[in-house]
Amino acid sequence: MGMLKDKDRNKVTNLFKQIDNDVTILMFTQETECQHCEMTRKMLEEVSGLSDRISLEVHDFVAEADLAKKYGVDKIPATVLLGDKDYGIRFYGVPAGYEFNVLIQDIRDVGKRDPGLSEAVTAELAKIDEPVHLQVIISPT
Amino acid sequence: MDFPSFSLDTSLLEEANQPDPEITYDLLILGGGPAAMSAAVYASRKMMNLAIITKDFGGQVRETSEVENWLGFQSINAKDLADSFEEHVKSFDIPVSLGRVITEVKKQGDTFTVWTDDGTVYSSRTVILSTGKRHRPLNVPGEQELVGRGLAYCATCDAPFFRRKKVVVAGGGNSAFTTVLDLVKVEAEVILINFIRGWQADGPLQERVEQTSTVSMLDYHQIVKIEGKDKVTGVVIKNRETEKQKKLETDGVFVEIGLLPNNQSVKNLVELNDQGEVIVDCSSQTSVQGLYGAGDVTTVPHKQIVIAAGEGAKAALSAYNYLINKSLL
Repeated sequence: MGMLKDKDRNKVTNLFKQIDNDVTILMFTQETECQHCEMTRKMLEEVSGLSDRISLEVHDFVAEADLAKKYGVDKIPATVLLGDKDYGIRFYGVPAGYEFNVLIQDIRDVGKRDPGLSEAVTAELAKIDEPVHLQVIISPT
Repeated sequence: MDFPSFSLDTSLLEEANQPDPEITYDLLILGGGPAAMSAAVYASRKMMNLAIITKDFGGQVRETSEVENWLGFQSINAKDLADSFEEHVKSFDIPVSLGRVITEVKKQGDTFTVWTDDGTVYSSRTVILSTGKRHRPLNVPGEQELVGRGLAYCATCDAPFFRRKKVVVAGGGNSAFTTVLDLVKVEAEVILINFIRGWQADGPLQERVEQTSTVSMLDYHQIVKIEGKDKVTGVVIKNRETEKQKKLETDGVFVEIGLLPNNQSVKNLVELNDQGEVIVDCSSQTSVQGLYGAGDVTTVPHKQIVIAAGEGAKAALSAYNYLINKSLL
């Protein structure tokens, strides 16, 4: 039995029909999985199965430390979304509850290669000429 | 393995039907506040073919915390009230263009054309303008640059960021005094600055603020400049009596000096009063046949949620009667 209810699975499947480019999800866990790592992996396995455009790679944070370092991953469970390039999108912890919406929307945006921002906002963001580290910290309630 | 307390919320993934630019609708509702949402409910129940174009749902209701004058509820959380309005509207499966700003409304023959900021053009036989109001800016140096960096227009949204900080509030009416009380709740030290002579807030509000030791009140003063590079660090104020200027150090500035009607899309089409509000008669009719106005953007006095909702209902029924009388429904 999957984690998604039938109604939600249909909703996500329909939304993923908008994806017209490949999306790779890297998930970092470890050999002896913590409960949240297992939850994240199983959820991503189910989500990635809802579109042929999405592939999931599960990696070992300890055994593949160099890969983790390459993507700046310093804690698990970690989820990395990749398109033609690394857009810097990372989820730490389980992207469940309300954040599941955000995960699905981000996968869709990467798959469309379009963040859905207006021209004015895009032009404003284009003026940023140095790396910016944005972190959104959420509570599970 | 089961994961107790594990839920996957997909509520944000609901995508409403988009309005179709190829269709000439019976009614286009412009805006998403209580007037617009009430109009949508009434028009839907009349089986009108309608669509909504709005930046968001809820309007100014989402900027307040509690509502204590919505009939049937002694007190209701404003967000809950706005959510229930939105849920009611969405139960009718009305096409919605969300996140869009309306740039222009024109009338050609018996048909209205409505432009949005992404260049899309929609058509309709009637239009309800319910675009509400927006906060009036101070129009002083530093204001535009420091919005969101210590300069705010919504105490309900931003007061918690100023816990135990020093804050200047611009204004002298009910909104300014309510903002002061919101800031007092988070133990901020507040200086209230009123441009015109004499405070305009209701007596009980004034009394509560005057009894608070952490609030200073400066009447007949003007903010002439907001200072700060990456965030607000101070303001320069002027005593309008003596013309003397001085600098005050502050972590934030809340601007509560009134509202401006969102009339940009119709200012070349319809008659406005000297405050820029859309003139409507008691049937919500504007100076243009088929164009109705409802809510805070109009000349109807007393900008209240219950009044906006009533006006929205009236506008929808008037639009319906207009189409019936023209044999267009």
